Amino acid sequence: MKRLLTTLLALAMALSLAACGGGNGGGPAGNSLDLSSAAWEDIVEEARGTTVTFYGWGGDENRNNWLNGDVAEYVKERYDITLDVVGMNIEDILAKLSSEKEAAAQGSIDMIWINGENFYSAKENGLLYGPFTHQLPNMDKYIDPEDPETLADFSMPIEGYEAPYAKAQMVLYLDTAVTPNAPASAGELMTFCQENPGKVTYPALPDFTGSAFIRNIVYELCGWEQFQDMEADYDTVKAAVQPAIDYLVELNPYLWNQGSTFPESSNTVDTMFADGELVMSMSYGPFSVSTGIDQGLYTETTQTFVFDKGTIGNTNYMGIAFNSPNKAGAMVVIDAILSAELQLSQYATLRELPVVDFDRLSAGEQEAFGQVDLGQGVLTQEDLLRHRLPEMPAKLVPVIEEIWLNEVVGK
Amino acid sequence: MRRSIVPRLILALTAACIVIPAALLAVWSFTARWPWPNLLPERYTPRTVSELLFGSAKLSRLLGSSIALAAAVAVLGTAIAVLTARAEALYRFRGKELIRLGSWLPLLIPGTVFAIGFHMVLLRLGLADTVAGVLLVHLVAALPYCITIMADVTRAVGFGLEEQAAVLGTGPFRAFFYAALPSLLPGVLSSMSMAFTLSYSQYFTTLIVGGGRVKTLALVLVPYIQGGDRALASVYAAAFTGSALAVFGIFEWIIYKVQRGGT
Repeated sequence: MKRLLTTLLALAMALSLAACGGGNGGGPAGNSLDLSSAAWEDIVEEARGTTVTFYGWGGDENRNNWLNGDVAEYVKERYDITLDVVGMNIEDILAKLSSEKEAAAQGSIDMIWINGENFYSAKENGLLYGPFTHQLPNMDKYIDPEDPETLADFSMPIEGYEAPYAKAQMVLYLDTAVTPNAPASAGELMTFCQENPGKVTYPALPDFTGSAFIRNIVYELCGWEQFQDMEADYDTVKAAVQPAIDYLVELNPYLWNQGSTFPESSNTVDTMFADGELVMSMSYGPFSVSTGIDQGLYTETTQTFVFDKGTIGNTNYMGIAFNSPNKAGAMVVIDAILSAELQLSQYATLRELPVVDFDRLSAGEQEAFGQVDLGQGVLTQEDLLRHRLPEMPAKLVPVIEEIWLNEVVGK
Repeated sequence: MRRSIVPRLILALTAACIVIPAALLAVWSFTARWPWPNLLPERYTPRTVSELLFGSAKLSRLLGSSIALAAAVAVLGTAIAVLTARAEALYRFRGKELIRLGSWLPLLIPGTVFAIGFHMVLLRLGLADTVAGVLLVHLVAALPYCITIMADVTRAVGFGLEEQAAVLGTGPFRAFFYAALPSLLPGVLSSMSMAFTLSYSQYFTTLIVGGGRVKTLALVLVPYIQGGDRALASVYAAAFTGSALAVFGIFEWIIYKVQRGGT
């Protein structure tokens, strides 16, 4: 048996060595064009007739259809570019890029849908191509360069490594036919949960939405300014968020399952709300309630609300993979998505907050944006933006998630 | 009398275990909203079915590529398994145990580790993100099952029939194809069905090794399950199960024809 094992190990090693030797050289094939200094017309010319792949989360049928429809048609018509949309979770995309970097292999990913801590780790590990956004005409034409969300993503300086895609903002919602009065603060939420015991919960961290909800509670009870330049040290952060921990532990007994466990994702919480098992849910998509009502998933009396002290908003972005085989094409498609036309179609079809600066739009474009029907049960864009708070620095996010896991669950 | 009630009960229970979830899947495919404690959905919708049939995911293309890929895995995997099983069950040679262990390895290694390791190797060979690479990884994942199924059948059939044919003056190839293979056909059918199912339902390996470029039905289905869209997930799951069953039907039919033609 021992001899068998040694033979087997030797065989395995020989195989992996052979595999190492078989590498077909590093890096993408040399582009004839030096992209970083090229003129926009040359980049567009280089991109003409090519295929661009866009990797990102594939669980939203409306977004898939929008990308495969409006966006694909737009770039096909104008630039003869074929857009290939691939559904993949961001963790898998980054894992794939890391293995490709390690193997110095040619990639297949051009554009990536990314933000927050994933952008932080991707940029830190050299998985992104850049800077490139300064070369995009629509970036200059439509995007406010002074907007904090143009400069930094969860406080990580962007430095031209990603271009804005859409804006998200944390919202809460309930069915006014079941619970007419929406809580307007963390304090009122406590009373709300006491009146509806076992019928409120939030997604377990590190779920995207659950994590944002907790940061929102932290902001309200501990203030948000102190976190903007805090060290990512466990004890420092814990001391700063202690009032929020105390609040959450006090909240636990009135939550679903007495707060001993939490649903694993925001989708589960949404499903439980739709089934009537919960009386409140939450989303990062500020207008998701109207889509839910349209699809018949939520009742017509479902209504979005936010806390008086505001909710966290962030932007999601588009980046380019370090080993993208078609960087020029990716730049052209990203530029197209930043156009007023596609931002308007995204706002109208997907009901996502646009990233274009309203003041930079022409009168006609402003009117078109103003006329978009956002459907039922949602807050207005002005109302949302008035209640918008900046994100926490990306490196603090995992620390808070760890603290929540240690100090809140089941306590 | 008492004795016949127990097997019937078990049969009914098994049938219920299959029929009830399948029926639920059918209802959920059209459900918009089904709050507790309603016995029936509150609201129905044609959204999911029209998304399945006319959505941007292009069902016909997905079905075509998934079925072609899985059928290739079934045929190749079973061909390899027939030969491997023959060697393993009927011959004695040095390193036989090693081959047996090797054929089991993909089962013993956790799926994620297997997929990522395989991806690294294929990256270096330049086969990552290709159909050939995905075919390879599915094949390796399916082989343990195919070989096990074929080894049992081969051992049961043995050399007897081929020896008889040889005595009557037939060459070794004809003896195998005409004397042994017909008896192996039930095993071949099981092995092909198993390999087909395995390939058809691979998600993680296809995603990692195919890099999203090789598109299968499972790749579109799983994000909707994870995304919590139960209605859409149901309608895709129904399409998934239905198409797999249809292919099994075709397998059975082919084998039936071959068997009838052979004897």
